[in-house]
Amino acid sequence: MFDTSIKLALTLSQIGAVMGVVLLTVAILTLLERKVLSWMQDRMGPMEVGPYGVLQPVADGLKLFFKEDIIPAGANKIMFSLAPILVLVPALIGFAVIPFGPNWTIDVMGVEFKPFVISDINIGVLYILAFASIGAYGVILGGWASNSKYSLLGGLRSAAQLISYELNVGLAIVGVLLLAGSLSLVEITEAQAGGFWNWFAFDPVPFPQFIAFVIFLIASVAETNRLPFDLPEAESELVAGFFTEYSGMRFAFFFMAEYSNMILVSCMSTVLFFGGWHAPLPFLQAPGTFAWVTGIFWFTAKVYFFLFLFFWIRATLPRLRYDQLMRFGWKVLLPIALGNIVVTSLLAYIFPN
Amino acid sequence: MKLKKWIQSLIFYEILLGMKETLKHFLKYRPITLEYPHVKKPLPENYRGMLGLLRYDDDTEKCVGCDLCEAACPSRVIRVVSAEVPGEPTKRFAKEYYMDMTRCLFCGLCVDACPVDALGMSQEFEWAVYDKRHLHLNKEQLLAIGDRAFPEREKRLEFQHPNVAYFNVSFKDIPEKEF
Repeated sequence: MFDTSIKLALTLSQIGAVMGVVLLTVAILTLLERKVLSWMQDRMGPMEVGPYGVLQPVADGLKLFFKEDIIPAGANKIMFSLAPILVLVPALIGFAVIPFGPNWTIDVMGVEFKPFVISDINIGVLYILAFASIGAYGVILGGWASNSKYSLLGGLRSAAQLISYELNVGLAIVGVLLLAGSLSLVEITEAQAGGFWNWFAFDPVPFPQFIAFVIFLIASVAETNRLPFDLPEAESELVAGFFTEYSGMRFAFFFMAEYSNMILVSCMSTVLFFGGWHAPLPFLQAPGTFAWVTGIFWFTAKVYFFLFLFFWIRATLPRLRYDQLMRFGWKVLLPIALGNIVVTSLLAYIFPN
Repeated sequence: MKLKKWIQSLIFYEILLGMKETLKHFLKYRPITLEYPHVKKPLPENYRGMLGLLRYDDDTEKCVGCDLCEAACPSRVIRVVSAEVPGEPTKRFAKEYYMDMTRCLFCGLCVDACPVDALGMSQEFEWAVYDKRHLHLNKEQLLAIGDRAFPEREKRLEFQHPNVAYFNVSFKDIPEKEF
């Protein structure tokens, strides 16, 4: 009984910490995206609230919190309220299996406790993919329940897009799973220990997964509905796509879900292809007890690099047309991903580690 | 040549070029926008902004109520009610002067038409209001605009009437204007 309560308290505090960090990162990202985007476009971005606009997320949050919550006439109230929750919860729940630091086990009053991963389950990758697909339900439901043509069109587009690109995400990961021999994200990270030449994206033997990484990146940009694949919410065509009719905190839920998804996808590409918390060169890793400091530092640095890449791509590329999106997903990415699996498995069979 | 193009499309060469360009702007950050309400763009000298009625340096109105501005206005913005100066039947002034700025197209024809240079175009342009009726200006409001936009006033000549001016064009020795 005592053990259980200790374990519960530890896990809850861990969940609280991770949630807090993720939501804080979401707040930072909303500002960072606008700033980075405007710097790339020779603008200034938000400058009014606080010095250089650093308090803009606070102002945005307050505004959204106090805004009127409108449910449009003719909307299905239950589905309309359910949709934002269905989008946000899967986006946040995926962080449960991400290892942020070394895979240590501490003994706290006779209870085994892993400080840097909430739960190390042996189907971690599958778990994230499964919850990512549940997020699609929220998007489609939100689009349908709004009783608006724009929302419905956005929801339908999103359904087609998510189904097409989820496939590519899954297939791109298969190569890594073959090499690591596990679906647990902790074990995948452990398999990439050493320098950057051991990371799956660069590991020369048996086959570098860099192509798979590029496919994963493109497909995950599409899955998180970011530019240039933001067809579900295409501003110039569909007002705001599936969340046209949402306002106030419900809108904020969709917004937070989008950014949490971005963070989750960045964490996944870090863990799967770029060695998770491992330093790029062995001597950059602090020895012994302090390994967790450098571990978390490198993990954060890599995740932020990928988040920057998201903004960078957004600033560079225009939106794709719908048929281009579908053709690219099914006729280009899918064959390359399949080819990558075939080559990787053949080479992994010939040169086993 | 075909092989080169094929390789280029394989490694997303054009996308990488575009990303290089955006990164260049990101690293050499030089904004071309202004923080508008705090920093304003300098306007040209001959900018045609809000209209205002002017006064002489002894606070007498320049307008002689001749209605030429009303006649020149293509949008029928201006309405002048002219009246005699009490006790002096040859001299007139604008008893009432109205401008409907919702219609004004800021062409400046009224300023050109005025024989005594009683109208001036200021550099003001931030005239957004919540109620359209606030853009129906009367004489006091127009004089206030003229007062704040043109602090340097023209000298009133000595032989002019103490209350109202004559047509300035008849005098040969008017000093040159400086605004």
